[in-house]
Amino acid sequence: MSALVLLSVLGVLLLYAGLFGKRTLLAPLGIIGLLATMVVIRSGWMMNVPLVGAMVRFDHFGSVFGQALTLITVLLFIFGIDYYSRVRENVAEQYALIIFSLVGAVLLISYSNLLVLFLGIEILSIPLYILAGGKRDSFRSGEAAFKYFLQGSFASGFFLMGIALLYGSTASLDLATVQASAASASGSAHMLYLLGLFFTIAGLAFKVAAVPFHFWSPDVYEGSPTLVTAYMSTVVKTAAFAAFHRLIAGMELPGAIQTMLVVMTLLTLFLGNIVALRQTQFKRLLAYSGIAHSGFLLLTFLGSDPGAPGVLFYYSITYSLATMGLFVVLTLAKRSANGDENIRIFRGLYRSSPWLAIVTMLLLLSLAGIPLTAGFVAKYQVFLLGIEGGYILTTAFAVAMALVGVYYYVLVIREAFTPREQAPELVVSRLNWLVISFCGLAVVVLGLVPELLRF
Amino acid sequence: MALLALLLIPLLTAMVLLVATPTRYARGIALFSSLVSLALTLWLWSNYQGIPVQALDVEWATAWGLRFTLGYDGVGLLMLLLTALVYPFIIGAGYGERLQHPSMINALLLFTQSFVMGVFTAQNLLLFYIFYELALLPVFFLLLYWGGERRRAITVRFFMYTLLGGLSLLFGAVYCLVQVEGFNGDLSALATLDLPYDTQVWLFWVLFLAFAIKLPIFPFHGWQPDTYTTAPVQGTMVLSAVMLKMGLYGTMRIVFPAVPLGVEHWRDTVIVLSLVGAIYAAVIAFRQSDLRRLIAYSSLSHVGVLCAGLFTCNRLGMTGSLYQAFAHAVLAIGMLYISGALKERVGSSEMAAMGGLKARVPRLAVLFMLVLVNAIGLPFTQSFVGEWLMFAGLWQVSTWLSLAAVSTIVLGAIYMLYAYQRVMLGTDKWEIEMSDVSLRDHLVLVPLVTLTFVLGVHPRPILDLVEGPVQVLLTSFPSLN
Repeated sequence: MSALVLLSVLGVLLLYAGLFGKRTLLAPLGIIGLLATMVVIRSGWMMNVPLVGAMVRFDHFGSVFGQALTLITVLLFIFGIDYYSRVRENVAEQYALIIFSLVGAVLLISYSNLLVLFLGIEILSIPLYILAGGKRDSFRSGEAAFKYFLQGSFASGFFLMGIALLYGSTASLDLATVQASAASASGSAHMLYLLGLFFTIAGLAFKVAAVPFHFWSPDVYEGSPTLVTAYMSTVVKTAAFAAFHRLIAGMELPGAIQTMLVVMTLLTLFLGNIVALRQTQFKRLLAYSGIAHSGFLLLTFLGSDPGAPGVLFYYSITYSLATMGLFVVLTLAKRSANGDENIRIFRGLYRSSPWLAIVTMLLLLSLAGIPLTAGFVAKYQVFLLGIEGGYILTTAFAVAMALVGVYYYVLVIREAFTPREQAPELVVSRLNWLVISFCGLAVVVLGLVPELLRF
Repeated sequence: MALLALLLIPLLTAMVLLVATPTRYARGIALFSSLVSLALTLWLWSNYQGIPVQALDVEWATAWGLRFTLGYDGVGLLMLLLTALVYPFIIGAGYGERLQHPSMINALLLFTQSFVMGVFTAQNLLLFYIFYELALLPVFFLLLYWGGERRRAITVRFFMYTLLGGLSLLFGAVYCLVQVEGFNGDLSALATLDLPYDTQVWLFWVLFLAFAIKLPIFPFHGWQPDTYTTAPVQGTMVLSAVMLKMGLYGTMRIVFPAVPLGVEHWRDTVIVLSLVGAIYAAVIAFRQSDLRRLIAYSSLSHVGVLCAGLFTCNRLGMTGSLYQAFAHAVLAIGMLYISGALKERVGSSEMAAMGGLKARVPRLAVLFMLVLVNAIGLPFTQSFVGEWLMFAGLWQVSTWLSLAAVSTIVLGAIYMLYAYQRVMLGTDKWEIEMSDVSLRDHLVLVPLVTLTFVLGVHPRPILDLVEGPVQVLLTSFPSLN
């Protein structure tokens, strides 16, 4: 709760700082505020206390995810210092919108009432609709914002209808009550319940970009400003998955819903990986790789292992760290290539800046799940969960898709390590270097000592 | 501790080479490191008592069945010996190639050495997998940076093929870890898994796929000829002399104990596939005009017999296969070195362009012949011992299979001698002056040839080494023996 208040105040403060033209203050202020939030969450103040009429409850799950999300946002803000130094207008608003969106994310990881879940999704999304259109003179950015808005509202509609149906069958919006009545509902009430759950999950599936609710993701990723894309593919995705987990964790899922999840997992794994093979634009590639990773993350929902939230946490955070680093590298490479996003812009990277190339390689290897990186540990745990849950064929399919996934990451690594006459000259500011190095080291260290990221 | 040192010496040297990039001394430093490794391995051998050694056991992430456990038995020690033995030659071969960035290439070579040593000493299933995958990465860059034509596509194909096997192995490992209560991933506990017959039948392929690709046996060899031809000579040496043995070792160490019933079920299939591949590769080798490609196909042919020998699941066949693994490493280094030496002098490895070289480089011709007789498996060479044992083992399975295996020797003699004829004999059409064998060539080839004949006449030391582990393995197949 204190985190919610702190973040909201921080957002307003940022707006004021912008109003008085203190541009250089924005990012430091945001970072300090975020770190303060992290400390507050970490201190465990007001933990496990039902708040706002028992609609929000900050438990261990929320606390761990909350810290991780704020940390990733801090990285994003550090990246933002350089990123926004070239933007003249509305910088404060963009920072503030990110913070407001983060408020929604915090709600998503701590809700205990479906209404708050809805609120969280909306608070998370509405700033994003604006942020996606952040490049006002860019046609693609506008397209992204519009697409995201239309499809997002559609998903919200779905979601709201789901909640209404759930309310109709259980006469409650309290998460625990709704979950508990999965077994007891019967007859037409059961049908209502199933439909309600179906629509709710569909709404969430939209947010995590699971197939067949993924259509917005590549276009929106590609059109949005890179910083916003980075935010969407890390914080937003993680928060949405956490919300998804809270919704269905610990409940006896009805058979139909279980089947729906399996089908969704298979489709997401397949489509994400296969379509990514054909991508030549790096940002689109990351969008499809994001869909593919959603597939692996969905796999954690299938079983009912008590270790599942830990795996979800580890996977989503290591994925976020790797993706964040790659988006920073992309921004730098794109700049030196005059806005080109083709993966060819990485060619010769090793020659011009070896360290950057090595870190890029590490990040991509982590996404690909090669041993000794965090991505490997993450995938390995997911496979363990899948087999433990008895989904052997699904897991086998996931393993096969992991192989497909390696291919498109390796193509990028190959580009970075292929010599070129005129190697790209990347200008790396100190702060960006810090972010990239941090992400690169993190995926290796977390891969070597997975216990560091204990749930 | 000595084992850990065995992993760390090449690893740390490689890192020093990467960071400091001492271009002029890179080869010397790498050579020194590989010699130290060799000395250390020989010391381990002299202290080996015939019982498996468990050297190190540190907790890493026990919750997922990952422990850092190192150790070795006779077979592991044989593989370590083989690895340690060939690396000085591999690095020495680099003195001839005028490749760019010598410190990088030597660092990558040493990385492979470290990881391969890791594979041969890991006593935990996941640790094995991790080293197995890691060994792939340096080769990726070796191929990508120093490869020949079309290297970009071939590199990725090689990588994907090997990774396909790797992931399949991972899936099998995870399956074993989850399904078998109390299995902690320890390799020595694999024999006690006791999975049901039906599971073993499919799990066999899940586990074996990795090694079938790595070896490779027919029809999983799609990556091999191109990769062997495109890679720089040193890279091909690493692949054929060392990494190929990872497949053999893995099959023996993981597949055989874990799914003995599956092995029995598929035994004949694998033997037939291997032999079909061996004959097929021998026929293709005959048709090659490029010496490197010929060596690639001959390696494929040899490996087929090697795998068939292993899958006889009897004492003679398995012992022969392991012995031949050692012989093949020595042979592969020798053949590849000579192809490199010829290319250095003639400028290409196209055999049609050569011919009549014997008059120009008489001593090299003699050394080539001495290496060649090992490839053909003439008596008093290492290959003779290994192949004889494998044929005897195959004979116990089926006379026809043994005959098929023997035919690869005949075919081998044909294509090898034909190659020699095309390269060395014929009219001397060369106008240019060529230097005959240099000191470096002597230093590489003479020890290899000596080793071939010494171990060919006196194979006891190696046979003693593998006898114990083979006996243990045989107990997995009571019905076959």
